[in-house]
Amino acid sequence: MTETQLFPTQEIGSLMKPRWLLQGLKGEPLNQAARADLAAWWQRTNFVPEHDPHLKKLLKGESAEVGTAAVRDLGALFLLRFLEASGLDIVYDGEARRVEMYEYPIRQMGGFDFLGHVRSFENKYYLKAASTGEVELKAPYHLDEFDFVRVHAVRPVKIPVTGAYTLADWSWNEHFLKKQAGWRGRKARRAAQRELIVELARKALRPTLKALIDHGADNIQIDEPAAGTHPDEAELVVESFNEAVEGLDAKFSMHICFSNYRTLYPAFLEMKKCSQFLWEFANRDTDHKDGYEVLELFAEFNDRREIGLGVTDIHRDIIETPELIRDRILRAARILGDPRRVYVNPDCGLRTRSLDVAWAKLTAMTQGAAMARAQVGGGAA
Amino acid sequence: MATIDLSLTGPFPRSEALVAATRDLDRGRRKAEEVTDLYRAATSEVLALERKIGASSVTGGLLANQDLFRPFVETLQGVSIGPLTRWFETNSFYRQPIVEAVPQRRPGAWAKTLWLDLLHTAKLPPKVILPGPYTASGLVDNRTDMDRLDFAKVWSRLLADEIRELAGLGVKVVQFQEPLLVNSPPSMDEESWVLEAYAPLAPALTGLTSLVWTFYGDGAPVLPLLGKLPVHIVGIDLADTDPADLREFARGKGLGLGCLDSRTSLPEDPREIARLVRELEGRLSPASIHLGAGAPLDLVPVGPAQKKLHVLPEAVAILEHAKNPPSKHGASA
Repeated sequence: MTETQLFPTQEIGSLMKPRWLLQGLKGEPLNQAARADLAAWWQRTNFVPEHDPHLKKLLKGESAEVGTAAVRDLGALFLLRFLEASGLDIVYDGEARRVEMYEYPIRQMGGFDFLGHVRSFENKYYLKAASTGEVELKAPYHLDEFDFVRVHAVRPVKIPVTGAYTLADWSWNEHFLKKQAGWRGRKARRAAQRELIVELARKALRPTLKALIDHGADNIQIDEPAAGTHPDEAELVVESFNEAVEGLDAKFSMHICFSNYRTLYPAFLEMKKCSQFLWEFANRDTDHKDGYEVLELFAEFNDRREIGLGVTDIHRDIIETPELIRDRILRAARILGDPRRVYVNPDCGLRTRSLDVAWAKLTAMTQGAAMARAQVGGGAA
Repeated sequence: MATIDLSLTGPFPRSEALVAATRDLDRGRRKAEEVTDLYRAATSEVLALERKIGASSVTGGLLANQDLFRPFVETLQGVSIGPLTRWFETNSFYRQPIVEAVPQRRPGAWAKTLWLDLLHTAKLPPKVILPGPYTASGLVDNRTDMDRLDFAKVWSRLLADEIRELAGLGVKVVQFQEPLLVNSPPSMDEESWVLEAYAPLAPALTGLTSLVWTFYGDGAPVLPLLGKLPVHIVGIDLADTDPADLREFARGKGLGLGCLDSRTSLPEDPREIARLVRELEGRLSPASIHLGAGAPLDLVPVGPAQKKLHVLPEAVAILEHAKNPPSKHGASA
């Protein structure tokens, strides 16, 4: 199946790093569980030839002999093949080289200091930085990982890049807030935040996106999980996106999840260069909820963009059946009135699920997309 | 002149050691008992901090709580834990409680989770923090036949029973978190039902100090309603409320001022807080003033959170100094 056919299935974010990769990156001898894991996944994905010398050494547990760089490459190659073997039409490397989506880009910039961990939920945390000076991009980032994927991918590639709005929202804004006199209430915070967002978009995102495009990236997903956080800041999200992509030419999409998407309209209509929104829907049709009505926004505002339909719950191990996936896809296609505008993906990255669960979810998803395709005649998009 | 005190008004952030331990717990690298011991040790540290800043009551930081509703709802029958849901305008999430039947409490179950034995070691009045009926009724997924008001009244009765039990165990202060009262406030027509929802709580609060604490929204429009709730102190979040909009306040009530902002890592200026307190005291004449964080500080790492907390006693010192300036000849004796 290719992107030119209906309901292309696509990656959307990070996957859990296998234990052999984590141990290997530390240069530790792989323990028995890690070796068994590696052997099992090699059987399923054949991500390198059987005679690959690094694979042979890792299967013996000798990660130090392989070296960190080669282990990292093997990790990226494995997750790339994992996604391809699960049947996805559009792939990346499961963000195998990134610590996570916020810390990594921020570390490529000057003007930020990390202050400590903040809880996202339960026992999940992220390291949070404060903006303490002018934003200074050290060098465009993600280029090496993209080059590696581009060379090795068999399927079309889409690279995810964290958006400027989220980078700003997940940071504290000390530098610009200090410039605000008096009591620093909502108005002062908002004014300071706009300054930081625009700086990040112009000085960090745009040069990075340009460099990626120069390296051959033609499908770029801007990740803005924070975009729905502040319902009255949709214009800032738009401004951040438009600043970041100004003068650039590629297919741009934006991923947002767990938000009230209604609050994004009509502001998001001004995001002219964004051709697809990837939103989560896996929990929107359960337990008598009718969250799919939000797709009617597209018709209400005559928005002809594509939807990257999240059909797979990323927070629970339950495996959606292919039939359920099929029904979700067909329902979205009916609401949009055009099956060609429906792409299929998990709600968000599956990094909190085990690779076994992620594999089962993704293969069910690709099967469900095939069933949906068959039901509408399987025609080309 | 109003009395001024301060306290922790919500969960405190976990220390970096606790962050590492809870991550290890999830990954199967540590045993639950070991992490519980760490929680208790960290709780003792927060209690020491609360004493150090001169808090009028102690919470222990609620470090093991996973969100506003847990562990409380986990001790109830008829309620299960649902999907992750965004926690107001933050990059954090809570699990939405799913109410499948009229909730029933299991006596003693919640009290066990509070580590009151530790709280009592601080020799200060223990405070418990609970989801208030307006917020609870608005945030749960209510799948029963009860309408929102019925559910809110059931919730209040549950809380009342818990509070009676906890009062018997030495709890002296009860705080209800009500972010929804300012983030999604009731219309004028709905105000009477908010009061009706709170009514079952009133008898249980006798002999205790009680607070309703609001955050994540503008407190000014609902200040008159807050003044009618059957609690001693009502708190507003100055990060989202323009102090200039606060015009009138209920006679005899204490005013809570959330003057620490968990949406910025910058420590607040104690002089600026003192200035605001003086201004509001002059204009509103509250019976007492209670300083704390607006939104809970657990969205700030522990270092900046500690710095912020230490601003409160500095602000109080500035205010006391202004009220009782040292005499020209005094002090050196």
